Amino acid sequence: MSLLHATWLFPPEGSGGRLLLWADTWRVAEPISPRRTAPVHPFSLVVDDLAAWLDDNDLWSEALRPATATLTLPSRAVNARGTRPGNSTSPWSGLPLQAGEPIPKTVEWWPWQVEGLALKPAAAAEWLSRLPLSGDHPDLAEDLRWWTHLQRWALGLIARGRWLPLVEEGHARWLPLLNREDDRQRLEELSSRLPQVATCAIGDGLSPEEALSCRRPGSGRLRVASFLEALLDGQLRDSFHEEPAEGVDPLLGAWQKALGRGDGELKLEEEDVERLEVATHHWRETVAGRVAAARTCLELSTPADGEELWDLSLLLQAEADPSLRVPAATVWALGDRSLQLGEITVPQPGELLLEGLGRALAVFEPIERGLDSATPVGMQLTPAEAFVLVRTAAARLRDVGVGVLLPPSLAGGLASRLGLAITAELPVESRGFTLGESLAWSWDFMIGGVTLTLKDLERLQAKRSPLVQHKGAWIELRPSDLKHAERFCAAEPGLSLDDALRLTASEGDPFHRLPVHAFSAGPRLQAVMEQYHQQKAPDPLPAPEGFFGQLRPYQERGLGWLAFLHRFDQGACLADDMGLGKTIQLLAFLQHLKAEQELKRPVLLVAPTSVLTNWKREAQAFTPELKVREHYGPRRPSSESALRKALKGIHLVLTSYGLLQRDSELLETIDWQGVVIDEAQAIKNPGAKQSMAARDLGRPGRSARTGRFRIALTGTPVENRVSELWALMDFLNPRVLGDEAFFHQRYRLPIERYGDMASLRDLKARVGPFILRRLKTDRSIISDLPEKLELSEWVGLSPEQRKLYTRTVDESLETIARAPLGQKHGQVLALLTRLKQICNHPALLLGEDPATAVSGNGAGSFASRSAKVQRLEEILEEVIEAGDRALLFTQFAEWGHLLKAHLEHRWKQEVPFLYGSTSKNERQAMVDRFQEDPRGPQLFLLSLKAGGVGLNLTRASHVFHIDRWWNPAVENQATDRAYRIGQQNRVLVHKFITSGSVEEKIDRMIREKSKLAAEIVGSGEEWLGGLDVGQLKDLVALSEE
Amino acid sequence: MTHTPNNPITTQLGSDGLGQQPWWVAQWMELINSYRFKKRLERAWEYARSGNVSSIRFEGRRVHARVQGSEEEPYKVKLWLDVLSDDDWGYVLEALTQKARWSAQLLAGMMPADIERAFAASGKRLFPFKLQEVRSECTCLDNKKGNLCKHISAVYYLMGDRFSEDPFVLFQLRGRTRAQLLADLAKRRRRALALQAQSAPQDAAQSDAVAALRRPHPAIADPGRWWRYEAALDPALVVITPAMEGDTGLDAAGPLPLAADPRFPQSNRLFLEDLRQQGQRLAAEAMTTAMDNSGSPP
Repeated sequence: MSLLHATWLFPPEGSGGRLLLWADTWRVAEPISPRRTAPVHPFSLVVDDLAAWLDDNDLWSEALRPATATLTLPSRAVNARGTRPGNSTSPWSGLPLQAGEPIPKTVEWWPWQVEGLALKPAAAAEWLSRLPLSGDHPDLAEDLRWWTHLQRWALGLIARGRWLPLVEEGHARWLPLLNREDDRQRLEELSSRLPQVATCAIGDGLSPEEALSCRRPGSGRLRVASFLEALLDGQLRDSFHEEPAEGVDPLLGAWQKALGRGDGELKLEEEDVERLEVATHHWRETVAGRVAAARTCLELSTPADGEELWDLSLLLQAEADPSLRVPAATVWALGDRSLQLGEITVPQPGELLLEGLGRALAVFEPIERGLDSATPVGMQLTPAEAFVLVRTAAARLRDVGVGVLLPPSLAGGLASRLGLAITAELPVESRGFTLGESLAWSWDFMIGGVTLTLKDLERLQAKRSPLVQHKGAWIELRPSDLKHAERFCAAEPGLSLDDALRLTASEGDPFHRLPVHAFSAGPRLQAVMEQYHQQKAPDPLPAPEGFFGQLRPYQERGLGWLAFLHRFDQGACLADDMGLGKTIQLLAFLQHLKAEQELKRPVLLVAPTSVLTNWKREAQAFTPELKVREHYGPRRPSSESALRKALKGIHLVLTSYGLLQRDSELLETIDWQGVVIDEAQAIKNPGAKQSMAARDLGRPGRSARTGRFRIALTGTPVENRVSELWALMDFLNPRVLGDEAFFHQRYRLPIERYGDMASLRDLKARVGPFILRRLKTDRSIISDLPEKLELSEWVGLSPEQRKLYTRTVDESLETIARAPLGQKHGQVLALLTRLKQICNHPALLLGEDPATAVSGNGAGSFASRSAKVQRLEEILEEVIEAGDRALLFTQFAEWGHLLKAHLEHRWKQEVPFLYGSTSKNERQAMVDRFQEDPRGPQLFLLSLKAGGVGLNLTRASHVFHIDRWWNPAVENQATDRAYRIGQQNRVLVHKFITSGSVEEKIDRMIREKSKLAAEIVGSGEEWLGGLDVGQLKDLVALSEE
Repeated sequence: MTHTPNNPITTQLGSDGLGQQPWWVAQWMELINSYRFKKRLERAWEYARSGNVSSIRFEGRRVHARVQGSEEEPYKVKLWLDVLSDDDWGYVLEALTQKARWSAQLLAGMMPADIERAFAASGKRLFPFKLQEVRSECTCLDNKKGNLCKHISAVYYLMGDRFSEDPFVLFQLRGRTRAQLLADLAKRRRRALALQAQSAPQDAAQSDAVAALRRPHPAIADPGRWWRYEAALDPALVVITPAMEGDTGLDAAGPLPLAADPRFPQSNRLFLEDLRQQGQRLAAEAMTTAMDNSGSPP
């Protein structure tokens, strides 16, 4: 896979330039020793391939032109073949690093030549506008996203008309105006985050012979400003009508023509060009200063006690970090030396300060009298002048690029508006379990950090001065404040626990139209709120009585959390990472209800068919007291009365999503105590029938006597999938996100289309209390986990598998019984092999051709024929989503081919398969690619024999044993390809077991450490041949429970 | 509407109410209007308005102009002021550095209203006090007789407009271009400050300055910065919105400080009007482009 990058090609002189698109791709390369010219980048895509790739991906533009460039890239030293490491006489040799590649200990920078396709600014702007603004895209490098954000800003500036046409250096140009505070801030942010690859090209047009030199990295705001200028200039030029209006004089006419398409050269006498240059220079100067490292800043301080006049001091402030500033006195003392503000060097700080003061004077006249000396440091303002500064001039000053610092209580924003300071606590008799309950509370008005009463407000308002002093702080009163305060007092509102949780969830949520500036909760309320907002880990709840097994500490906390939300009658989504034991926590929760005598009615659990077996097995093992019943299969009750009868004394009912939908009417007649959905991503599509059925079931109609708890389980990072959150929350707690249309407008559109962080934060704050997600890598979890975690994945059999299995067993047992003794041994082993193949997939036994087997769709599709493949797919889905890598072991080469074809078909990505006939070179290439390529394959199939030993595949964090070789030593050896002592990654080992089949029985034997098992470990599978027919029958016959 | 010298004379832009006359232009106009022969001024104004002045050039310290009169060949007009000597400029610069405001305004492209006080230090003036201080020559007969001819007066009027383009033209006529003036001023101020700074102790922060220059860019220590960009789109750029009424760069910049060609009296207005309208069209196009970005992977 290739990764597309973009780098700006600076012209040899002047402004403008071109955007170069180039791509790198992983391949095996010999280290290169640069001689006199920059070597060709060994991983870069050649122009033809790049063009084809762009075309395939709908990124082609007619304006693309081939170009080459010399880029300075971090590079790793690799010793050329035949040279000894550390040999100082041999020249440096190495390779350029690629994005995402682990950074080696020592990095050097070398120039590399790449070919690519370049766009002139206008075309570049158009092209960048088509690219996504957010999200990860496997083929687009992150640095491209930086460019799309820059172009987005250029569009914003054009939309807001923040530009001026200018004449500079004999050329007409469109200049972005960056005088506004937010635009300046944006320039700083884009500069500080600039991916260096965007600017690492050595001047366009330099011949490679001159170019064995590197470009220094820089976070130049000047560079970024020049990119922005080029993009904006290109776009405006492109659609500007250059025909002057009637009555425009020749001078302006020529200027207008030069502002259209072309290089902007003015067709005028030199003297006239100069006139335009001077005039436009003055024109611009009154609006915006230069793009500089620092700016002039005015700081207003409140009067000292008993004084009337306000102090205004002059400072110089860093653009990049407004908190870095120095007083004017320091600036004057520097003379002609440059100023150091943190990491920023400001040349000629005095000039900069003076120029800013000139512009400040034009908008805020009172500072004139402070500038009478040669080295002014400040002045005093009358209260009226101070008010003008606070109220209007501050904004205008910021607009002309002068910073203004106001006393905190007057600094504007929400805090300086009239709001509330609330103190609340749970009433003595309350346990804090119901959302609607009223709190004991009191409140004060608050402005600028000081509290005041209605009386205070009336008294201060009577002073008829906009700036008043109260409790030592200066605050600004607005005429409407008193009215709002009176209205609030008249309303006499109550405060519920629900209000308290809402007000503390997201900043700026108003209460009766007033912002809440301070909320102080009493200790008991505080404890409830902290748990609710997940500000602290939930209180652990030890494993309940009747729970057979041990809960790890984080599982006890998960149990505590489920119980906590249950008390509030709030739905909960447990979204722990795969392998952390969601099943166990849920079972422990049900057992907890039972132990507390609270489990009175059956609980319905909906899960994909492929994991129903797993649930049953786990429930048997951990919570044997719970009576579990499957609502599944053709013999399931089909009438209300039959179902009721069948559910007598049952605690947990398991059913599939398919049946949830088919039997929805029947299932709705039961008064469930709770509904649990496993693999909750199954209801991500709000319109799908199974999603609607799940939601209806979670929300009982009037017929239900009491509430119904709702729990969702998923291993996917559900809080990051905006589009799926709505359906999930609608199942859990419908009020939280409103209806679907509102959700779409308010959250989904801004976040998914534009990556709007503010909306995303708000959304997360809203859903946060109901989702608990822990990762294997969390510090609080990792210590609880072993480094190698083994999971048994229980799967059933598809109808086709079942039929095939029984038939094979019946036929073979007969044959074996009649077989002469010498052949029996071989026939038993052959039977076992066939059964294992069936457990994998019928196509394996039937010897189907991979290409035709995987091409089918729908009910006859490859996955639907095997329960094991279905389950494998579900788990792999999560692995791939998470960006993890996995090794898949099988003992059947034919199965490897089939699975490879299927997985590649399913995920549209390459899945290498290493087996006996793979040549030595191919093996090495596969291993290298898996270990080294930043965008290499995520799945790696290996045959147990060929891949089980000798390879180092530590990049994998999952190991799958798809079929079993009943010899733990062999399996462990294979597992150890991925798992090495001291490795960073935890390794998750998935062992598939088909329930009821020979796989389960042998697995149980091994686990029960029977006498038989000792033989197994010793002799591989040989012992199986020695079983008599009776023993064999017990072992292989499909057991139904 | 007819302009006569008795009416207050404004620039073309001023008469459209787009801007106020800068004070230095007003002062120049007052100077001309002090001329006693009103009839002659009226004719000069007509000349200026109807485009008889075909060119005005600043060549060094002199103004060269060509005015079409009754003859076929245009008359050549020269105007100049007495240039200040280097010593005089020395005094002026010295005085200018005494007040931060003067430097501040000059650096921001504004002519300080009390600039004459700085010139007073040299005993000289920036603005001519009397009309007689403006030296002039014209190739017409009237001028040869020692009169202030209408050709010269017409150039006077137009020069007022030129001053509004660039107040520093006056400095140029007195012997210093803007660049020279600002450079001299900076040099002098720095020298003064350096002297002051020598007596003050070295600022501790400054000793770090050199070290900071040697400090490598963070991307050297963290080569991942070559490619990494994890930031989300600025929320303010999520929805691209148009400017508020009267809030574009053109609105902020105001009238173009460029003297109109008298033959095209509406030129500036028309040009800016066209820009403004096109600006709105371009803004609409940008918003459409922004809206079309579906954000989905290509």
